[in-house]
Amino acid sequence: MRAHDNRAWWLLLPALVLLAVVGVLPLLAVVNYGFHDIFSLSDVHWVGFDWYADILNSHRFLASLGRSFLFSALVLAIQVPLGIAVAKLLVPYGPRAVWGLMLCALPLVVPWNMIPMLWLGLIDTRTGILGPGLAALGFDWKFTGWHTWVLLLAVDTWHWLGLVVVLAYAGLAAIPQAYHQAAAIDGASRWSVFRHIELPRISGALAIVFLLRFVDSFMIYTEAFAINAGGPQDATRFLSVELGEEIKGFSYGQAAARATLYFLVVLTVVWAFVIATRRREEA
Amino acid sequence: MIRLLALLALAAFILLPLVQAVMLSFTATLPTETVAEGTIGLMNYRNVLASPELRAAIVNSLIYVTLNVTLCIAVGLPAAYALARFRFVGDRHFLLAILVFRVTPPVVLSLPAFILFSRFGLVNSPVGIALIHCLFNLPVAIWILESFIRAVPRAFDETAFLDGHSGPSFFFRHLIPAIAPGIGVAAFFCFIFSWVEVVFARILTVTAGKPITMAIGAMFGFQTDIGKVMAMTCLSLVPGVMMIWLARNHLAKGFDLRA
Repeated sequence: MRAHDNRAWWLLLPALVLLAVVGVLPLLAVVNYGFHDIFSLSDVHWVGFDWYADILNSHRFLASLGRSFLFSALVLAIQVPLGIAVAKLLVPYGPRAVWGLMLCALPLVVPWNMIPMLWLGLIDTRTGILGPGLAALGFDWKFTGWHTWVLLLAVDTWHWLGLVVVLAYAGLAAIPQAYHQAAAIDGASRWSVFRHIELPRISGALAIVFLLRFVDSFMIYTEAFAINAGGPQDATRFLSVELGEEIKGFSYGQAAARATLYFLVVLTVVWAFVIATRRREEA
Repeated sequence: MIRLLALLALAAFILLPLVQAVMLSFTATLPTETVAEGTIGLMNYRNVLASPELRAAIVNSLIYVTLNVTLCIAVGLPAAYALARFRFVGDRHFLLAILVFRVTPPVVLSLPAFILFSRFGLVNSPVGIALIHCLFNLPVAIWILESFIRAVPRAFDETAFLDGHSGPSFFFRHLIPAIAPGIGVAAFFCFIFSWVEVVFARILTVTAGKPITMAIGAMFGFQTDIGKVMAMTCLSLVPGVMMIWLARNHLAKGFDLRA
């Protein structure tokens, strides 16, 4: 049992100072900018909630919000089950499974801005390994919206599957053999083994996977912009692509209001998630 | 059998883009007077290493990532110890706060971070990137270190205190050796989130101090030497692959969410 001692705050002090400087200060600044029209740093006007009203009333914003939620939902629906499946494939290999984990972790260390380049190189119709074959199948990621979506999902899955596999494997490998033997004697089905033995072991890791994958896919920019810049016909215009356009257009006040709005959306989802997990733990 | 086939398919999926990159990095893609297009050789790597900007970019990246990992662990360790060993007013709020910082999209904070850091002269310097990356790495370091410290029995601390160790000497002589694998895992995850990050790295380096990610981006232009780009990409993978190799036996420990 942990002792109660408020002096422990002293140990948190360095972390708090650091987070205040790199997190709290910029966050307050961005909220503040969002209430202003900024022509230059010396020419700033208070506009109140005007930017927010503009953004919330625009159909483009709502469409982008919908697209970003759909993308995140697809990413989670693909990567979480796939990652668990791969981890389950690796567990029986014992110590040799580490080779599989290293393989899965490889895409995690590729510079983000090069990931779309690697894939565009791979599917280049002239020089790519997969290019000519995909072109023959009629795969046209430049002009067909849902093909761009497939490509983005494939690229994102390639990039992040390793994180799911590594974290899920950690939980699964720690389950003592006796649990599985007991389940086999009871004649438990595969599903009930997963539901009652394996899932509880990996739920902590899955919580982190869910949150990290949600925010990163919800705010996907590098890949979406490099692959088709939101096109074709806005089919992959996600929230972050719109924000990027405003920053590039020097519309800082509006960009800040938009950034604050995105932050609130992310915060709401995370908060709901934390409340839900806490309630389950207490139940 | 099916298991093996599935794993082979997975390996093909993961390795295919990398194989293409490695192949291109050994191929001349932009013909010059002396080298014809399509020649196989090490010329791209020679070109990368001959370029002062690209060499500087590699050094910049190594500096900021080392600083960031060191800072996250130095600051995260006492915090993780406090969370693992004590209950105190607001401990759950602190955990919730670091979760919020971990999930704050970098693009939200990029603009004010630039203005704030330029006041302190931290733009165009690896120190600035190292500091701002703590935003998402410090929470990860705290989560991982906390779970490793929790796994060490309390009696361990008490024995050390009875032996006359206190404060700093306990941390360095007892606690750190006991949770060395945890520090390795924390360093690994901090490294992978920091090494490849582009949003902050882009906005905080305008004219100088560019890390590898930005140097690669700057290589795209009117006539892109894609072979050289791929050579640079392959070189940028080397430290990451080394980190994976060093952390391989502890990788599977992972980390849990505490909120």
